[in-house]
Amino acid sequence: MDLETPTAEHPPTQSFDIVSTYRDLLASDPDLTMPVAAIEALVEALAHSTVSTVAETLQLLERHTNTLKASIPNPISLSAGTDLFQRYLITTLTRPSSLGGLASVHLGPSDDFRAIRNHLLSNGRLFVERAKASRDKIASFGKHFVRDGATVLTNGGSRVVGALLRTAAESSTIRFRVIYVLSPSTSSDSREGLQTVADLRAHNVPVATIPDAAVAYSLGKVDMVIVGAEGVVENGGIISRMGTYQLGLLAKSKGKPFYVVAESHKFVRLYPLSQFDLPIDQKMLDFKVAEDKNFESKDKAPEDGTTADLCFENVPSKCSGQSADDAVDFTPPDLISGIITESGVLTPSAVSEELIKIWF
Amino acid sequence: MSKTTEGEAVQPPAEKIAEGDLKPQTESKVEAGVEDKKPQAAETDRAPKLSAAELKKRKQAEKQARRAQAKGAGPSTSGPPTQQKGPAARDGPKQQKDAKQPAKEGQSRPLPARRRPSQSEVPVLEKAKKEVKKETKQQGLFFGHLYNQPRQHSMVGASKDVHPAVLALGLQYSSYVVCGSTARMVSMLLAFKAVIETYQTPVGTSLARHLTSHHLSPQIDYLRSCRPLSISMGNAIRWLKDIIIKIDPSTPEAQAKRDLLSEIDNFILQRITAADELIAETAAKKIEEGDVILTYASSSIVEKTLLRAHNAGVKFSVIVVDSKPLFEGKRLARDLANHGLKVKYLLITGASHAVRDASKVFLGAHAMMSNGRLYSRVGTALVSMLANDHSLPVIVLCESVKFTERVALDSIVGNEVAPADELLSESERKDLLPLKPFLPKSVTARADEKDKSEGGEEAKDSPEDVLKWIVDSPNLQMLQVLYDVTPAEYINMVITEYGSLPPSSVPVVHRLSTNI
Repeated sequence: MDLETPTAEHPPTQSFDIVSTYRDLLASDPDLTMPVAAIEALVEALAHSTVSTVAETLQLLERHTNTLKASIPNPISLSAGTDLFQRYLITTLTRPSSLGGLASVHLGPSDDFRAIRNHLLSNGRLFVERAKASRDKIASFGKHFVRDGATVLTNGGSRVVGALLRTAAESSTIRFRVIYVLSPSTSSDSREGLQTVADLRAHNVPVATIPDAAVAYSLGKVDMVIVGAEGVVENGGIISRMGTYQLGLLAKSKGKPFYVVAESHKFVRLYPLSQFDLPIDQKMLDFKVAEDKNFESKDKAPEDGTTADLCFENVPSKCSGQSADDAVDFTPPDLISGIITESGVLTPSAVSEELIKIWF
Repeated sequence: MSKTTEGEAVQPPAEKIAEGDLKPQTESKVEAGVEDKKPQAAETDRAPKLSAAELKKRKQAEKQARRAQAKGAGPSTSGPPTQQKGPAARDGPKQQKDAKQPAKEGQSRPLPARRRPSQSEVPVLEKAKKEVKKETKQQGLFFGHLYNQPRQHSMVGASKDVHPAVLALGLQYSSYVVCGSTARMVSMLLAFKAVIETYQTPVGTSLARHLTSHHLSPQIDYLRSCRPLSISMGNAIRWLKDIIIKIDPSTPEAQAKRDLLSEIDNFILQRITAADELIAETAAKKIEEGDVILTYASSSIVEKTLLRAHNAGVKFSVIVVDSKPLFEGKRLARDLANHGLKVKYLLITGASHAVRDASKVFLGAHAMMSNGRLYSRVGTALVSMLANDHSLPVIVLCESVKFTERVALDSIVGNEVAPADELLSESERKDLLPLKPFLPKSVTARADEKDKSEGGEEAKDSPEDVLKWIVDSPNLQMLQVLYDVTPAEYINMVITEYGSLPPSSVPVVHRLSTNI
């Protein structure tokens, strides 16, 4: 490896803005999930750079991954994608036999490396396409779980859940009802939820929308619960929007099956032991006493000003912590009946096996 | 019952040997201070009892047994019949069944419960066997099947092939000087290194064929007679035998030996040293500021993890829960406190209080079973159940070399029993002495009688008497099992060198680690 190339490469790689690429990708394609967008952004970054060695590639990737992770408040779901891509790169680069017997990548002439890189780029795009297609596959698996005459409880604005319910609605043989838990705020999450509700209603599926507080009340009428996930962790639990955990607890206490739909690229190498063991800093719990009241509005306004935070602006004393819109919680595996992925329906304990298969 | 007494009357020497055998070990128990003085006392005690004639008899019988084994049909012919005519006849059929498949069982499954008494060639004396019968009868209850092998606490009767390093190690095992699954495995491999170094292939055989079956097996059998092999030792032995067998016969002996030694070093480095490092690193990250970590007994890897987190500047405290009779946690608590950690130490009787204050539970393992259950020091299950009840995360730290393909449903079928008299420490026995007048007459009379018949010195108030009372009381049994099985539901996470897993993934990793 000559020392000159990296310095020569640096200017173009620095100018490439991975964060804005990632944001653009997410904005341009509403169907894109975070991990896939991250992988696509990384492939893009790789295509823009002119790295010529394996070590450099990995370094570049590492740097981009870190900037990307630092730029968003909750990188769990994103890290699923970046980790997967990194792992894939390492295995392809260190086992070049799959590329037609290149003996040693590190010592090979630059032509060989270029071949590998092109292979990586094309494969990366293939991966993105496959990831997008997986949603339909999950929908086709999952629709069999919705029985005729069933009432399904779901929450949030998961696109996979939306796709699944839509597929089930389109098949004329299944008649089912949906109870949709909607958060009162106007986040993108609930907007997507409303979209799904409208779609389902257009397909003649009766949908009831309820607030979070009415979950336990309506559970008696529910036959099954289906939720989406931001990340599926190693022990088979899921990280999902705030409120999923209590949904799971309630469903378990009433003996209702609780299914998770998630693409397998959302599997994260993470093992949280409890709600507070997540690698992100959430300020849901913010203890205050009366003296703080005067400062509160001043303190909070600039901090949360960017997001549409009704909670703080209208009724400052209602919730002291972060709003529940972007927050996530962890649902432990013992509450989950099954995880529906594009590679089949897994029990929570099978997730770790899948992850071990990828990583070793 | 009548048969037992008859046996005693007819054969007093057997009784004596039994006691002589038990003594050194009862005294060399845990408490470090006591340990030094006692063995000598035991030696002097035993010396008159084991006359020269006795020794000679022993050796003869041993030779006979070895010859019988060499014939091949050894265990299956000589083993069961003698057992069946004894009073422990109800155990007979089962043991016979075991004996039908000798080779496979002995080599691939080092579980104590599965072994036949006749398998090891060490004390195959008839006398020894009769003692066992008596014991089984007395110690029956649920754990009767575990008493089928007498524990060896001396090197008397060891095969002449056993290497001195292994002889020493065996004694260290039986006296718990070397204790803990990892330590036992590593020390065994190191002893085997010495064995291999001094090994010379006899003319007419090849190293690959001779070393395992003829030279290594006696060593293993001796170690097993000192204390049943741990799962990790079984795994290591299987691995070692495998690489020995795979040695190319054309390799020169010196070269082959050198390869073997470096392979063993590598094995220890990879499966223990590096694995421990990785596990400690992962596990230490799980310790957060302000945590209270509860641990049970003592595990080297837990200690390493706690110290690592402490050295990284995390402020947390530790609760060490411990139990009789090994008191392994004492040393752990002292070590941690010496390193500046805040430590609370209590016995398992106070475990329910301990879990109330704790925030996480870290446990070491003897083995992880394929159904995700944890096989560890007796009491672990209790602690983890309590922790689970308080919804504390229970984290097991375990190297993958301790994984086994076997499953365990309860702690009765497979377990290790230690001599029950270890349960009463020297000082506790002394405390019990004043209770003598309250004993039923029959017991005291018999004990006294025996004292006299032994030509005994009238040392009436010796703490040993307490043990005799227990042995002589027909309805009292003392049981000391060493392990128990924790159901997988009570375990939240297993940290191995492959990363963190739910207990259900143990078989996957086991397959992975044995294939490589």
